[in-house]
Amino acid sequence: MSKELIDAITDMREDDALKLTQELLASSTDPLTILDDCREAMTAVGRRFEVGEYFVPELILAGEILKSISAEVKPRLKQGGAAKQGAKVLLGTVKGDIHDIGKDIVNFMLDVNGFQVTDLGVDVPPEKFVEQIKQLQPPIVALSGFLTLAYTSMKDTVDAIKAAGLRGKVKIMIGGGTIDEQICAYAGADAFGKDAMAAVNLAKQWTGGK
Amino acid sequence: MTTKPYADPDAGKTPQQLYAERTKRMADALQLKQPDRIPIQLGFGYMLAEMGGITRQEQHENGAKEQELLEKAALQFQPDSVMGLFNNPGASVALGDRMTKFPGHGLNPNGSFQFVEGEYMKPEDYDAFIDDPADWSIRKYWPRVFPELEGLALLPPLGIGAFGAYALPQLGILKAPPVVKALQALGRAADAQAVADARAVNSVQRMAALGFAPPTFMGSIAEAPFDFMSDTLRGMRGIMLDIHRRPDKLLAAMDKVLRLQLEYAIAFHRATGLTTCFIPLHRGSDGFMSLAQFEKFYWPTLKAMQVTLVENGIMPFVFYEGVWDQRLKYLVELPKAKTTGLFQFSDIFKVKQVVGGTMCIAGGMRNSLLQAGTADDVCELTIKLCREVGKGGGFIMTTGIGEMEGCKPELVKVWVDTTKEYGVY
Repeated sequence: MSKELIDAITDMREDDALKLTQELLASSTDPLTILDDCREAMTAVGRRFEVGEYFVPELILAGEILKSISAEVKPRLKQGGAAKQGAKVLLGTVKGDIHDIGKDIVNFMLDVNGFQVTDLGVDVPPEKFVEQIKQLQPPIVALSGFLTLAYTSMKDTVDAIKAAGLRGKVKIMIGGGTIDEQICAYAGADAFGKDAMAAVNLAKQWTGGK
Repeated sequence: MTTKPYADPDAGKTPQQLYAERTKRMADALQLKQPDRIPIQLGFGYMLAEMGGITRQEQHENGAKEQELLEKAALQFQPDSVMGLFNNPGASVALGDRMTKFPGHGLNPNGSFQFVEGEYMKPEDYDAFIDDPADWSIRKYWPRVFPELEGLALLPPLGIGAFGAYALPQLGILKAPPVVKALQALGRAADAQAVADARAVNSVQRMAALGFAPPTFMGSIAEAPFDFMSDTLRGMRGIMLDIHRRPDKLLAAMDKVLRLQLEYAIAFHRATGLTTCFIPLHRGSDGFMSLAQFEKFYWPTLKAMQVTLVENGIMPFVFYEGVWDQRLKYLVELPKAKTTGLFQFSDIFKVKQVVGGTMCIAGGMRNSLLQAGTADDVCELTIKLCREVGKGGGFIMTTGIGEMEGCKPELVKVWVDTTKEYGVY
């Protein structure tokens, strides 16, 4: 473990992080250790986001730093790292809406909290959610939306899941700029979250985590 | 809640009388005074298509039909001021605009207008942008975002015009087929815009004749310099990285766009006599950046913009999108009674406490309640808004989002009637 590398990533020192990675690789450090350091750093970044010290610029930059380090490390990996063990979450912005900022933050925060997130992207039709629930069997489905038309799309998505006989198999959370308790009841979701931390807490609650 | 029969206080008045009363009511609220009662503005948006049983595409493109629906809805609900759609696809369609999607153009006929953000300006474009934003926009940026204008990339540097007679040989390029195609597309876009402008002016005049005050949005449009760099140029991802990777260039570019937007808004005001500048805000709300970043990258130029507009006789009508609860203390620095804030999802009661002495507040009603709530819910919130946010004046009742897609007409009626009943001072 390299505390220096973890700190460089956590503190957003992009150039230092990359230089340290190259030095570690040159000194024959196991590439998997470097990836572990990255994971630890991302968890720390997530924690700083939770407490309101970091915001969107830092989440995006952290993602960029991670991408650069992975590009250095990947060619030297002999085998893939261990598969993630956390519960699966199926995530997407509902049909008709192409907003992705909130969804991407939720993805990041669920990911650093150990969940296996499958992100279906934006403008996802209800049938796509249904098909993916059948295929991946996630215990949790997270619907994102920003426009007011998302109210209806969320309801349509929940209805489609119901019609497919899958409603009892998944917990559904919804979120996004204009979503509140009214829309949660209207759409027939299990809960709504105000922000990405609420999504993490709900996911933990629903999967028996702390 | 209230069960006694509702008597509209405006019943029996002539359109001229209503226009005079409503215009004064709006003006009083905007100037932070206490009107006779709380004015209510309905920004119907796509609710008109829903009420009229037409597609949203038709609402955008058939001006006469939209006007008919707007008049019908206005007369049905009798608020103080109304609005239909704020934008039209004509110019965007003519140019092949990549950054917008309209119903029927990249969306199904009942889709919602959406903005497609992208990294249309790359990090390596900063120097050229700062050096000469006009030249960069027209020769580099327009061909990227408006495919019909690709031919403009063939133009010589625009500054060569300063070479006078020696620049004339460059004019031959205007006859090159790709440039001809681009200029023709520009002509079509200008034609479409002229039609839309005439429609907007006509609509306001017709609504005035029916007794409705002009909507609060009318005038020029500007953005916080940070949003200007983010929305149409760098995109959210790009701009957030710029905060860390190239802060000085970002600040230098923001200084440019502050000045050019002010020049435009002031000239627009002088040419048209319209006194409002609409400023929708995007990336400065709670959650996007830290307060330290806000103080460095967002607030100083936004404040400077508003102060300069006010000094030039223009009222900024600022749409504080998202939640501004952590940032309200900055707004108190703005000139008193000279700006208006439409608050989307902020805690409107807290907004009143903090900035109620500084600016007129618009907003309050939640769209979710008008779509999925009950009449009692709507009534209860409306009364609370009248009592707390309306206290002392300086409040315009609207939906926080400003538009009303999906709202149920029967709940809108409850909302308007309750406002008229409980909003009396």
